[in-house]
Amino acid sequence: MPASRFTQTGNYRTKYQQDQTIFATYAEQLSLIVLIGLLLLLPLILPKTMLRDVNMIMIYAVAVIGLNITTGYTGLINIGQAAFMGVGAYATALAATRLNLPFFLAIPIGGLAGALVGTFVGLPSLRLKYLYLAVATLAFQIIFEWGVGHTPLLAQGGAISLPQVQVLGVKATFFNHNFVWYYLILPVLVVMGLLWRNVLRTKHGRSLIAVRDNDRAAAAMGINPGTAKIMAFMIGSFYAGIAGGLFAYFQKAVVIEDYGLHISIQLLAMAIVGGLGSLPGSFLGPLFIVALDRIVGSGSQWLGSLNIFPAGVDAATALRPLSFGLAIVLFLMFEPRGLANWWRLSRLYFKKWPYKF
Amino acid sequence: MKKTLILSALVSLSFAAAQKTVTLPWSGAITGPTSDAGASYAAGVEDYCKYANSQKMLPGITLNCVIRDDQYNNANTQRNFEDFVANLNAPVFLGYATGGALQLKSVIQETKIPTLTASYHIGIIDAPDNTYTFLPVSSYSENIVALLEYVAKKERGAKVALVVNPSPFGRDPVVDARKAAERLGLKITDVQEVGGNNLDNTALLKRLEAQGAKYIINQNTAGPVANILKDAKRLGLLGKMQFMGAHYTGGEDLTKLAGDAAKDFIWATSYYLYDEATQPGIILAKKIGAQFKRAADTIRSVHYTSGMMASAIAIEAMKRAGANPDAAGVYKGLISMNGSRAFNPGFAVGPVTFSARDHIGAESLRLLQADATGNFKAITGAQRSAMFQLVHPMK
Repeated sequence: MPASRFTQTGNYRTKYQQDQTIFATYAEQLSLIVLIGLLLLLPLILPKTMLRDVNMIMIYAVAVIGLNITTGYTGLINIGQAAFMGVGAYATALAATRLNLPFFLAIPIGGLAGALVGTFVGLPSLRLKYLYLAVATLAFQIIFEWGVGHTPLLAQGGAISLPQVQVLGVKATFFNHNFVWYYLILPVLVVMGLLWRNVLRTKHGRSLIAVRDNDRAAAAMGINPGTAKIMAFMIGSFYAGIAGGLFAYFQKAVVIEDYGLHISIQLLAMAIVGGLGSLPGSFLGPLFIVALDRIVGSGSQWLGSLNIFPAGVDAATALRPLSFGLAIVLFLMFEPRGLANWWRLSRLYFKKWPYKF
Repeated sequence: MKKTLILSALVSLSFAAAQKTVTLPWSGAITGPTSDAGASYAAGVEDYCKYANSQKMLPGITLNCVIRDDQYNNANTQRNFEDFVANLNAPVFLGYATGGALQLKSVIQETKIPTLTASYHIGIIDAPDNTYTFLPVSSYSENIVALLEYVAKKERGAKVALVVNPSPFGRDPVVDARKAAERLGLKITDVQEVGGNNLDNTALLKRLEAQGAKYIINQNTAGPVANILKDAKRLGLLGKMQFMGAHYTGGEDLTKLAGDAAKDFIWATSYYLYDEATQPGIILAKKIGAQFKRAADTIRSVHYTSGMMASAIAIEAMKRAGANPDAAGVYKGLISMNGSRAFNPGFAVGPVTFSARDHIGAESLRLLQADATGNFKAITGAQRSAMFQLVHPMK
């Protein structure tokens, strides 16, 4: 039975090219178009503060795709993704304030700066693996924070304000800021997602997965593991740089505190909870962590207001790190493939619906 | 009888309808980093706000006292600010952290919302985007320059080292301190950065000792300073070196953490302390704390008084704005606080004075020294740092 372009209840692919398609069926294509259509309507129904959260989720999703490229798809542990975001944010801020470039040029410059620095930071991956590489990326995170803190050009980590943007005659003011940026961030996220999906279909993308699974076997097949690793860092940091540029404009100013080690850990948590090496996981992870943050934030405030703990025991403050830690541990123990696996299972269910098997 | 009842019901309804609600919002760290200070500060803001309602300080207006935890996260601060201004129509914003305030500056300028923060970082009121940002009391930079002036009076040509927090909060006063030290004939031997994870400061202290630094000025929070003091005591350096610090280094927090190692620590602050029981501001703080059943530790904290101070300034500005305290009215109310109309809520050692150019409220400060029991006693009267005005003229 040939593979239908309309519906598939099983795997009927017979050609390699069929395996490489972005969308297996028209139904998948249609569902993405419908989803994007619905997303375009979202700002009309969401309250302003919630729209801000959605924007944050989308920006983090771009960074998490980048982290997934290095850590999920290539197996190179990266604890410095926030620093790469920071490189992008500061490059964007300098391009916008010193060179007076418009945002649509300043943000890609942030991405390129991230990629450049990422390529350099990725060099130790030629010699280091596993925890040792993780420590190298951690070192970069520390160097980045120290470097910014001692550079007058970067306000020593203080705020560099970004100019307001204007799109098609509409100026992003305080009152429409989240609205305007939603329609700027969403296309970037869709393009970055599709871009990665496309890269993954190429020999370069597949070489990353081959290196992750077994770099010696990959080398035996003619893949240069060194090139693949450097490329992973370059692409991953490019994504982080773009996310940093978006974040800088979205937050209206760059401040070092937004790109610290805790954010790198948070991004890693998003990638783990979402599912390492999965594109849908890169969207679901940030969604889960930001939602958890909001819920736990309200819970902390409520717990603090009860005044039931003895003096010196700050249980309200402890609630947040405890919840995050617990979420990561539970996911690693019971669902190491992350939320992406739940997404896959639910899709599978509806694919075969109404038949169970 | 029936008629009287209906009439009184109508009158009550009309009063209720005439009573306007205005939001007084605060966003800061009730949980997360620095929440030890933030929680007490939040309590001060909230209690004074409720007290103002109970005292009917604003005729015809009921304050909606909104206290929100931002977990010391800048993105959360922005989120709260947007909610306060866009949804709750707040005419003023009470902030907390340095990073959050610096990041919000351009938004504050755009929305024209007068803002008072718990961070006394001078960059918050420096140009650009500084029209609507105000510091309730003297800045960290002024605290440190005042300490340098004290050192220069005591020992001309003395060697001084700065130990600062590795953040904009810590680093920013260094520029002014260097300029002031040069003018005062002091030698800054070193500037070291120390964060909250400084569990062993032996190397740092030995280095400063080797340089001959006699005065160590800290710009940090109480935790790291307490660790330094305990290590200095262990190394027998407490008598050889004089440790000093700006507003957030000292007070109850320091003596609780450092114990007897805090003895002789010199602290610069603009606030009166809990033990100064005759000061009207302290009497009021104790009364309000008891009224709202706060824990003794909270009421003792200087941050509780600081929170009340910010709240009091905002409410006074609203009062001066009249029946319709919008952002423009509150701004006018703030900048009217000078000369004979200066505002003195009694929490700080000097009156709060603002103008279109002067964005520092109570500029006066005192130097206090910890005694053997950990209590801070004033060693100077209320004063302004003359040198600070020379090294950092406000524009």
